[in-house]
Amino acid sequence: MTSIRKNKLFMAVLYALVFFMLAEWLTPVIVLTATGHKALFLIFVAAGLLMAFLRVPWWFSGPLKTLYILWFIVYVYTGNVFFTSEAIAFLWTDFGLNFSALMSQNWAGTTDVFRTVLFFVLLWMAIYLIHYWVSFRLSIFLFYLLTVIFIAVLDTFSPYSGETAIIRIMVIGLLLAGLLHLARWMEGHRILERTDKLAMFAVPLVLLVAGSTALALYLPKAGPIWPDPVPFITSFSGQGGVGSGGNVGRIGYGVDDSRLGGSFIGDDTAVFQAEVSEGQYWKVESKDYYTTKGWELTENVGESFVYGNSETVETDFVLDEEEELESARLSMEQGFPFVLYPYGTESFTMEESLDYQYSTVDQRFETYQDGEEFEPEAYEISFTEPSYSLTALRDTSPEELAELPAEFDRFLQLPDGLPERVGDLAAEVTESSETVYDKTRAIERYFSTSGFEYSQSDIPVPEADEDYVDQFLFETQRGYCDNFSTSMVVMLRSLDIPARWVKGFNEGELVDSDGDTDVYQVTNNNAHSWVEAYMPGVGWMLFEPTIGFTGASAIDFDLELDADDPEQPEEQELPLAEDPETAEEEEAAIASGPSFWDRFTDSISANRWKILWTLAGLVLAAAILFKIRHKWMPKLLVSYYRRGSGGSARFEKAYLRLLKQLELYGINRRPGQTLKSYAAYIDSFFGTREMSKLTEAYERTVYGGDEESVDWPELRESWENLINRTSG
Amino acid sequence: MNAKERLEQVIDNIEKVIIGKRNIVELSMVAMLSHGHVLLEDVPGVGKTMLVRALAKSVGADFKRIQFTPDLLPSDVVGVSIYNPKDMEFHFRPGPIMGNIILADEINRTSPKTQSSLLEAMEEASVTIDGVTMQIPKPFFVMATQNPIEYEGTYPLPEAQLDRFLLKIKMGYPTPKEEMEVLNRARSAAPIEELTSVISLNELLELQEQVKTIKVDETIRSYIVDLSRQTRQDSYVYLGVSPRGSIALMKASQAYALLRGRDYVTPDDVQYLAKFVFGHRIMLRSEARYDGITAEEITERILAKTRVPVQRLVGQ
Repeated sequence: MTSIRKNKLFMAVLYALVFFMLAEWLTPVIVLTATGHKALFLIFVAAGLLMAFLRVPWWFSGPLKTLYILWFIVYVYTGNVFFTSEAIAFLWTDFGLNFSALMSQNWAGTTDVFRTVLFFVLLWMAIYLIHYWVSFRLSIFLFYLLTVIFIAVLDTFSPYSGETAIIRIMVIGLLLAGLLHLARWMEGHRILERTDKLAMFAVPLVLLVAGSTALALYLPKAGPIWPDPVPFITSFSGQGGVGSGGNVGRIGYGVDDSRLGGSFIGDDTAVFQAEVSEGQYWKVESKDYYTTKGWELTENVGESFVYGNSETVETDFVLDEEEELESARLSMEQGFPFVLYPYGTESFTMEESLDYQYSTVDQRFETYQDGEEFEPEAYEISFTEPSYSLTALRDTSPEELAELPAEFDRFLQLPDGLPERVGDLAAEVTESSETVYDKTRAIERYFSTSGFEYSQSDIPVPEADEDYVDQFLFETQRGYCDNFSTSMVVMLRSLDIPARWVKGFNEGELVDSDGDTDVYQVTNNNAHSWVEAYMPGVGWMLFEPTIGFTGASAIDFDLELDADDPEQPEEQELPLAEDPETAEEEEAAIASGPSFWDRFTDSISANRWKILWTLAGLVLAAAILFKIRHKWMPKLLVSYYRRGSGGSARFEKAYLRLLKQLELYGINRRPGQTLKSYAAYIDSFFGTREMSKLTEAYERTVYGGDEESVDWPELRESWENLINRTSG
Repeated sequence: MNAKERLEQVIDNIEKVIIGKRNIVELSMVAMLSHGHVLLEDVPGVGKTMLVRALAKSVGADFKRIQFTPDLLPSDVVGVSIYNPKDMEFHFRPGPIMGNIILADEINRTSPKTQSSLLEAMEEASVTIDGVTMQIPKPFFVMATQNPIEYEGTYPLPEAQLDRFLLKIKMGYPTPKEEMEVLNRARSAAPIEELTSVISLNELLELQEQVKTIKVDETIRSYIVDLSRQTRQDSYVYLGVSPRGSIALMKASQAYALLRGRDYVTPDDVQYLAKFVFGHRIMLRSEARYDGITAEEITERILAKTRVPVQRLVGQ
């Protein structure tokens, strides 16, 4: 008796799919637990599946796997590639340690080796279970479902990003489930000799999966209805912060700042590497219009300038003629259609011939090549760090503010609904300061001296009637860079000091140093926002209100200081080890090119929750409808079969429908039961004679080939009578 | 009068003397209508001979009986040529096989040689003696009886020869109530003598022709093939049902459908007859005997698990 299970090629395909599915389990576990040697674990899984596929007897495969585990331990923990005497001694000692720890119930005393062994045993078990599911039960659905749940949960609650994994799993799982269903179906219908015709079924299946995946990828996706369940769940469990709802995003640089707030989790995906003598704040752009919820840009103002490669650019920061030009080299690892620049930028240079379009609205340098947006991969920047004369800063009198030209008005904009206590607080904080600079410094320091707390979690999003700044200053007093920088800008503006909100990246992490040049790795975690304020007579200056961050303008101490003078030279330092990070929503992966994969991942991630919840809802509704279909189907069927003319073909269909309905109703026909005996049972069950009557007519058409004698309109009455009974 | 009514007349007629065995009578009719022969397996004295005689009388057929004994010779069955000194020629004296309805009693008591002479005649419907082939008159219907083979002094029929019987039937004992009725009737004169024919031999031949016109749909044919194939795949079975067995099942089903007044075969017909057609065609392994499994049980099991076709076959 040939069975589908004996078809080697078919089973090999199944096992290969299973391998990829298991790899999807392994990857997040290894990523999240910072376990190394993923390839070695994958080899173990692959070898286990291969041996299961080849039906290697257990007395051979068991010792082989054990040997592999031992070798893994030796290789990973001692670095020996072979079982040297030293390695064996290590194994023996470790075994002794763990054995005595276990015997004395000293669970903490077990070594890492022991945990590694446990992990391997777990893998071994998983391989065996799946092998059993695939080759004996011919069913994988449960495992498939668990995988989807596993990845969805990890994606939601852990830093692991399952965006592409979930697609791979869907494809693998659909193929696997489809092929197994086919196998079960072929066995169930004893289509045994036709295993060679498998392709006839398998090819359409593969095409269907590929087609629907491609279509799903390409279709536009709507945004999430319910952004993320985590704050929702935590607010229910009583851990939520002030306000409701919320938005946990993954950290990174985004373009949409119209709605700030919400919690964030870290993401150390690399953005770029900077080779520079000292860490810099890398500015992207600024925003000037505060809406009580976030930042937008004022429209119809400003000008644009276009510069070429190595051409001297003009920003709001005047170059210090005395300083020597420094050079920074940026190697991008994420594509942006603009350049990042340090304060005091003089010019940009890169291999490609480009236009740098600078807008005074947001001070952004967009990059164009032949009129098309361009994402530079590497470029050099020459710049001098601006420094400011303390004397000049001490001369910044508030009276001068009134004389500023109208173009500064947009940096003084405040929303109508801003609560008065914000302005009152600003006035109170700066009461004792006389100059504009001192007032600004006073506000910059206010946060670190008044009990504010840096945090990325449990940060609420303001409600419709709440102000983002007001909420932070008076209610929560905890937040991240957006809270601090926005609050400072608003407070400055309430004092008529022009200020704007700046976005970019902070220094990043020092990863290498070569003489004068340091290499900084900047990741999504380093996305940051800070403040620029205008000092009358001096110009724009950078301020850093966020607690724990050290960016500051270089001050030229050209006047004598009192001992208690608040000014202290502040060197730009390396970020602290536990450098707090800022946050932006990740999905705004900045107008990337319309690459299929990017569009796909973007839209999936943007709509992940909407898709999942909608799907879950639809599935649930469909499942319920399907479960109770015997209740509502008859009504549809009756009206359907009433329409149209009679004829034996219609009668045959109707009769087969009736059989299905009766099965749904719970009266099953055994495989070897003839229609006649089934009909007799149905009739005795319902106390009718109608099923026998219908069955006789049906037998006459199907077995007797007598299609003329069927009088469907006459039989229909009996049929309707029976089918209506099944909905009871 | 249609076929069904005529056949029922015959059956009713036979029932006057055979009490409570309508299904057996029907099956005998089925075999006769489809040019087949019946193997009755039962203990003596349950009315086997009576059944055949009643059947012969009801159709007005010539009835012959051969009592098989260990010393019976083939020529005692098919006939012999005898030298007549008067005209100096051999004259053929036909044996008892040259009749319409033959009762071959206790067939397993005679030697295989004699058994095979009978079975060959059954298969060919003709006998060849001294180079001369003689047709046996139609209709030709043999009902052989055998004692259950466990009994002593028997020669079991070889597998190949069992295959020549269309059906194997067990009469079984009557119920107490039926047996009372048998006694009741036996008090007066033997009722068999009073039976008259209800249809003629020509009518019987016509009915036999009619059986061939009964429709066997493709679905039914595939169902029959399915069933036969299953017997060959069963782990208890040493030798399954041959294609000749499949043909037998189809033909018997056709006759049964006619008996039921239908011009097409239904799965019910097939299921009903499968037990009688397959019973003697399935050779069991010794394991089956240890486990107490009979061929009938195997057939039941196969019937229960084989999907009954309820829809037209599409494509194929």
